[in-house]
Amino acid sequence: MSEQLHTSPVDVIVLGAGMAGLVAAVRLAEAGLRVTTVAKGYGSLRLSPATIDILGYRPDPVDSPARALPGFAAAHPEHPYAQISPALLAEAVQWLKEHVETYAYVGDPDANMLLSTAIGVPRPSAVVPETMAAGDLRSAGPLLIAGIGVLKDFHPSLVAENLEAATAARGRAVRARPVLLNPPTDGDADVGALALARRFEDAAFRAAVVAELRAAVTGEEAIGLPAVLGLDQARSVWAELQQATGRPVFEIPTPVPPSVPGLRLARALQDRLRRVGGRFVLGAEAAGPELRNSELVGVRIRAAARVTPRTCRWVVLATGGLSAGGIGVDATGALSEPALGLPVHGPSPGETGFLPGYLGDHPMETAGLRVDSSLRPVGPDGEPVYPNVYAAGAVIGGARPWREKSGDGISLSTGYLAAEAILKEAG
Amino acid sequence: MIGGGTTGVGVARDAAMRGFSTILVERGDLATGTTGRFHGLLHSGGRYAVKDPQAARECIGENKILRRIAADCIEDTGGLFVTTPIDDPAYADRFITACQDTGIPAEEIGVAEALRREPRVNPRITRALVVPDATIDAWKTVWTCARSATEYGAKILPYHEVTAVTRDGDRVTGIVARGRGGEQVQIRAQVTVNAAGAWGGRIAAMAGCQVKISPGKGIMVAANHRLVQTVVNRCDMPADGDILVPIRTVSVIGTTDITVSDPDHWEITRAEIDQMLQSGENLVPGFAASRMLRVWGGVRPLFQDDAPAETRDVTRAHAVLDHRKRDGVAGFLTITGGKLCTFRLMAQDVVDAVCTVLGTTRASRTADEPLPDSQDQRFYQLGSRLAEREQTLLDEQLICECELVRRGRLEDEMARRPAPSLDDLRRALRLGMGPCQGGFCMYRAAGILHQLKHLSAAEADQALMAFLEERWKGVYPLLHGDQLRQAWLDDWIFQGVLDVEHLPPTAPAPPQEAAPQEAGPQEAGPQEAAPQEAGPRETATGRAT
Repeated sequence: MSEQLHTSPVDVIVLGAGMAGLVAAVRLAEAGLRVTTVAKGYGSLRLSPATIDILGYRPDPVDSPARALPGFAAAHPEHPYAQISPALLAEAVQWLKEHVETYAYVGDPDANMLLSTAIGVPRPSAVVPETMAAGDLRSAGPLLIAGIGVLKDFHPSLVAENLEAATAARGRAVRARPVLLNPPTDGDADVGALALARRFEDAAFRAAVVAELRAAVTGEEAIGLPAVLGLDQARSVWAELQQATGRPVFEIPTPVPPSVPGLRLARALQDRLRRVGGRFVLGAEAAGPELRNSELVGVRIRAAARVTPRTCRWVVLATGGLSAGGIGVDATGALSEPALGLPVHGPSPGETGFLPGYLGDHPMETAGLRVDSSLRPVGPDGEPVYPNVYAAGAVIGGARPWREKSGDGISLSTGYLAAEAILKEAG
Repeated sequence: MIGGGTTGVGVARDAAMRGFSTILVERGDLATGTTGRFHGLLHSGGRYAVKDPQAARECIGENKILRRIAADCIEDTGGLFVTTPIDDPAYADRFITACQDTGIPAEEIGVAEALRREPRVNPRITRALVVPDATIDAWKTVWTCARSATEYGAKILPYHEVTAVTRDGDRVTGIVARGRGGEQVQIRAQVTVNAAGAWGGRIAAMAGCQVKISPGKGIMVAANHRLVQTVVNRCDMPADGDILVPIRTVSVIGTTDITVSDPDHWEITRAEIDQMLQSGENLVPGFAASRMLRVWGGVRPLFQDDAPAETRDVTRAHAVLDHRKRDGVAGFLTITGGKLCTFRLMAQDVVDAVCTVLGTTRASRTADEPLPDSQDQRFYQLGSRLAEREQTLLDEQLICECELVRRGRLEDEMARRPAPSLDDLRRALRLGMGPCQGGFCMYRAAGILHQLKHLSAAEADQALMAFLEERWKGVYPLLHGDQLRQAWLDDWIFQGVLDVEHLPPTAPAPPQEAAPQEAGPQEAGPQEAAPQEAGPRETATGRAT
């Protein structure tokens, strides 16, 4: 892998292989640029429920992200969405739908669906895998929430009871009842989501599940299952379950990593990247910018205990936020951006980073880079630090993605926009 | 018995073993006061040898006894006293002499040997002494004492807060407590023992007696790894942050000692945390850069006595106050001061005093009779859960990967307690105490509590949110580096994926229903302890084993 790094010239180095990095890399490679994606690990996309949440709360619930975005961006000028127009967002969503072939998406930014979480909260999400859409609580009839006994990360009784209470409180009560399935697992009582997804690709296992579901389901119920219905064959597994039970089937994301839908999306994007000629280097990280006369001419890449300068014309910095390590905080409270050493906006050492209440608006949550209108990280003077570095995804500060339900929407749209800015310059 | 820390539970066990009808009330869960907020060091006495020989003698005596009777709660780590660059090099000689005088086995080893045993310890140490320090799991000690006490007929009522100490003239006749659901429980007793630790002054005041107890706050910080395998102490006069204790899966640095005015309301300051990290750095270079899991504090009951000398026990380490002699109030004793390591001795002294009050002589047997699970006198081993897990690898789910908590253990613990909180389960099983701080296991535990019908969905939601709030208190003061990334991943799970912020709105928690009575008080003893005047809930028994 590191051989590739040394031998072929590249136009763009994309740092990070999460949603933002992969979207930018695919788009750039597709346009004919030579792209190398350098990632320390597989990226947190594989932990994501893979719903493209654009904006769910501001903090009141959002019905239409497309309509809410202009006002939201105006009220939050430091939010990444301040650089994203509704038209660009719609374009990015359309692009994603066309580029993830093995795993289809439905919905658009005009309206949020409401999908149950694994604890029974109706969660707003605009663009979702087709395997989840039948659970949209805005229109759903009665639900059968089916857990699988060997899976400890999905508790159907808690989902069903909370869901009934939560939907009633929102004004449209949805009936839900739980069932626990016990398909044979060769005596293994502790099967994780990924292992279960692989079992679902086995016809005999599916048949056992279908038999239990048919015995449990009534003629009017839709069936909610944990999001473990196959990995590479998810579309056919899901379709077969619907066909065999005669009922709509929908997946509910499980909370604990890895996320099977996240794996599906990551693999789909990575496959696409490979097919369009993008390179992917895993297990390497940026160790700083490669400078010539204070201009950035490349990235110093650390791999296999060696640091090698690698030249490129543009960099897309998509290393993630505080959780992914794209933004660091040391013991003194000092913030850093370790890949290129860019200035980070956020609480200084000694300033309050966290409040005592768990659900407080912790100042540290919005720490990250500040960017200009084409997503170039800027310094305290508001000017781009390097004219050829673009940021995408959670490394950009100003958002509270978990709370707003905006994470993958930010990553998709900024990844898309960063690529667009580079393509414009490349002519 | 008022107070469900090691002292109170120890007294309940000792009294029940001597045949007294005994009932214990605790305002929270057992071991939620100072007991559950300690670093885990079973002193050899070395720490006190120079400064306080009497306390040192008590420690080494109890250390030997506890190794016999509570082996399953103890990991025999051994202890090192090391002279670090900031310590007085001459102290080690005084230390050796003092250990000889107080009966503490202490052996000097070479620096090279000490560093071979503990490679992470500061290489600039100049002397090293080996003592029989160990670590003790305070929670396990309390649960097994409580279980044993219950087997001997004692009743243990957690979540019962004393609201009044009742008196008939100059005689205390018992207490009134309020249960979790607001129900009143009245308990009549011939002798009432105040073992409320740092809260003991308040209880004494309810009886019309004055006991000055100044709560001394000590903070501790847990690092993610066993940075050392031996308890490491600085070989100098006791000071802040001079002990590093490897307990279960973590290492704990402690502690400070700051007098606070209210044992329930105090803060941990950034300066205190920095002090602990710097102190750790002196013992183990690189300590401050380790992944820090959690910070917490406990309040020691520091007894300030200004009453005549004959009213108290002779030792300086702890004091048994008979309020008849002291304040003219009969039937009421206070036990205060002391240390976790000497809880058994404290309990013995208290029950001896109870015998005196009741005009009877019954000998304590706690020095000889092992606690449940410790009969075979085998010490706890760090790998024991892993060994247990390997036996059930395919058969059973692992609910907490960090602390290797099996589903069967969790379900047993849930069944033992009426309406357990997730924090109760954390203390009982170490569920959620590891690196992810409950990120992976707490959804599972809440789901299982609901599935097994221990809690309604609304109660399970509340339990989860209460846990997240409680956990946050211990992690946010030192969030940085990798542990911050972990906390953010946990937030992604709870806020991002599950959206717990928008759990359905719930009415205020309904009153707790009483659990079926499991064991009644023994009526045979000379002491009466019968709940009175309350509805059917009065006999609710907190099955706190």
